[in-house]
Amino acid sequence: MTTQTAEASRPEVVRLGRMERARRADLDILAVFVVAQVGCVIAGLVAPGKFAYVTTGNFQVMLQAIPELGIVAIGVGLLMIAGEFDLSVGANYTFAAIVMANLVTGYGMSPWGAAAIALLVGLLIGLLNAAVTFWLRIPSFITTLGSGLFWEGFTLLYHGAGFVSFTPTGAFVTATSGSFGVLEVEFCWFIVLAVVCGLLLHRHRLGNWFYAAGGNATAARAVGVRTRRVKTIAFAIAGVTAALAGILATSRVQSIVPGQGTDLPLNAIAACVIGGVALMGGRGTMLGIVLGSALIYLIQDVLLLLRAPGFYLQLFVGLLIIAAAGLNQFARGRAARQGNG
Amino acid sequence: MTDSPAPLLELRDISKSYGQVQALRDVSFTVGKGETVGLFGDNGAGKSTLVKIMAGVERADAGSIFWEGKPAPLGSRRASAELGIEPIYQDGALCESMPIWRNVFLGREDTVRGGFLRTRRMRDAASDILRSDIEIGAHIDTDRLVSELSGGQRQAVAIARAVHFKRSLLLLDEPTSALAVRETEALLGYVRRLRDEGVSSVLITHNLHQAYQVCERFVVMSRGRVSLDAARDEVTLADLTNRVLDQ
Ligand SMILES: Nc1ncnc2c1ncn2[C@@H]1O[C@H](COP(=O)(O)OP(=O)(O)O)[C@@H](O)[C@H]1O
Ligand SMILES: [Mg+2]
Repeated sequence: MTTQTAEASRPEVVRLGRMERARRADLDILAVFVVAQVGCVIAGLVAPGKFAYVTTGNFQVMLQAIPELGIVAIGVGLLMIAGEFDLSVGANYTFAAIVMANLVTGYGMSPWGAAAIALLVGLLIGLLNAAVTFWLRIPSFITTLGSGLFWEGFTLLYHGAGFVSFTPTGAFVTATSGSFGVLEVEFCWFIVLAVVCGLLLHRHRLGNWFYAAGGNATAARAVGVRTRRVKTIAFAIAGVTAALAGILATSRVQSIVPGQGTDLPLNAIAACVIGGVALMGGRGTMLGIVLGSALIYLIQDVLLLLRAPGFYLQLFVGLLIIAAAGLNQFARGRAARQGNG
Repeated sequence: MTDSPAPLLELRDISKSYGQVQALRDVSFTVGKGETVGLFGDNGAGKSTLVKIMAGVERADAGSIFWEGKPAPLGSRRASAELGIEPIYQDGALCESMPIWRNVFLGREDTVRGGFLRTRRMRDAASDILRSDIEIGAHIDTDRLVSELSGGQRQAVAIARAVHFKRSLLLLDEPTSALAVRETEALLGYVRRLRDEGVSSVLITHNLHQAYQVCERFVVMSRGRVSLDAARDEVTLADLTNRVLDQ
């Protein structure tokens, strides 16, 4: 085979291979993240008056805000790796949170029970997305665009446009919006979820099937992987994580208002793409998703601290998405050329 | 054929239509244990359809199927896979974005209880097969993504999978049409070696010369019917070529 000679002249290809190659893209995003963090810390130390980055307050806000997008992005990212989209996570997030807040504030239900019901609502919305997608054989992009609008409208129909306050007390507050010293509980939930889903994705056969279903569904089916069932599980996870993010955010700000999650679906997809998840499915890592979410928040934070107008956020995130996707494409092309000698 | 032990797989009077097109008409086809059968015919003769029925990805409209003499409906890919029937696709039908070892074990992962992967064991096993049984080359790291492999290497991975899981019947539908000469020879070598281990194969190809070297029996199809079914000692390569061209 001609590749043998090409291979021999490129021993570094073999050496790098020890690390799972799918993970190598993580190094790029990790490097970007570290450089950005170091830059911010230095700037914060040099000019603490103008750029209050290195402060407990900023750190705390960061640890509260990253999970809100990050938890949604974990579900959306797993689903994207499995080859499907969920654009309804924003509506799901809001609807589930409003159901919970109404049950507690309006009907005096225990917040634990109400939160469990909210998670169930998220799960059902996810399963419904899967069912409609597979029964009608339409792209999930369309299904969930539709279901997102539907649940947004349904929220207004069932609840109206006003906010609901949510002021539980006791252990529920500690478990959803408390803190251990500087470590915010939301952030702990986020990390635990990332570790659990990361193990599922990279170390469990279900994760293997996510990659296969998203990478080449026909090949996966040929070896007996039930791709619809696998994707249905991914839809369910996306639904549950969206609801969980809604619960945590509502508990922190003690209220929820319809329309709050509107930006979430695209931001979550952006976080995933920045983190190296392929839009066409089959590629991506948990570390990438986590870092992608953190990076989006980092940009937001820097702009807030600099008191820059909001549109800068869109501007930078927009550029970052394109740069990240371009970088991945470039890396993939390089890998393919090496293989063909 | 009737007195010998039951063939590994027997298809009897199989018909299959796609809408108005009748792809197969009363086709009977057998593969013995450890036998390599060459399947030939013009484009549209129904070869791929026949193989897809064996693979369980298409269902016959009529006819019956027997596995080692017992009725076996082969209604799904899963049912076919459980008998040990494994299609080897031109591009290997692998997931490009996944490493070689994950592809080898896809759908049949080696796990501890609870479904967590034994990654070390699967990696080592995949290297072993690629190195010793398939000889794709000792330098191929099983952590490489399939997207980095050539067509021949991909098929080798698919065959490695079949070897490891002790498949009993390989279905090769024009496996060599996209391969370089050396890769083609390597592939035919695997088929021969597997036959020595008792694995049967059905090989579809337009290259009769190649097929004549590895197959023990030849079946020629024409417009959905079998027009010739002969053992190697019953036909010469020239006869065979004429029968295929003669349609
Ligand atoms: N999925 C399909 N839908 C409709 N017609 C098909 C389909 N697959 C095969 N056919 C038709 O069935 C006949 C046999 O095709 P096939 O088995 O692919 O032949 P071969 O592999 O011998 O070239 C052809 O006329 C082909 O057009
Ligand atoms: Mg064909």
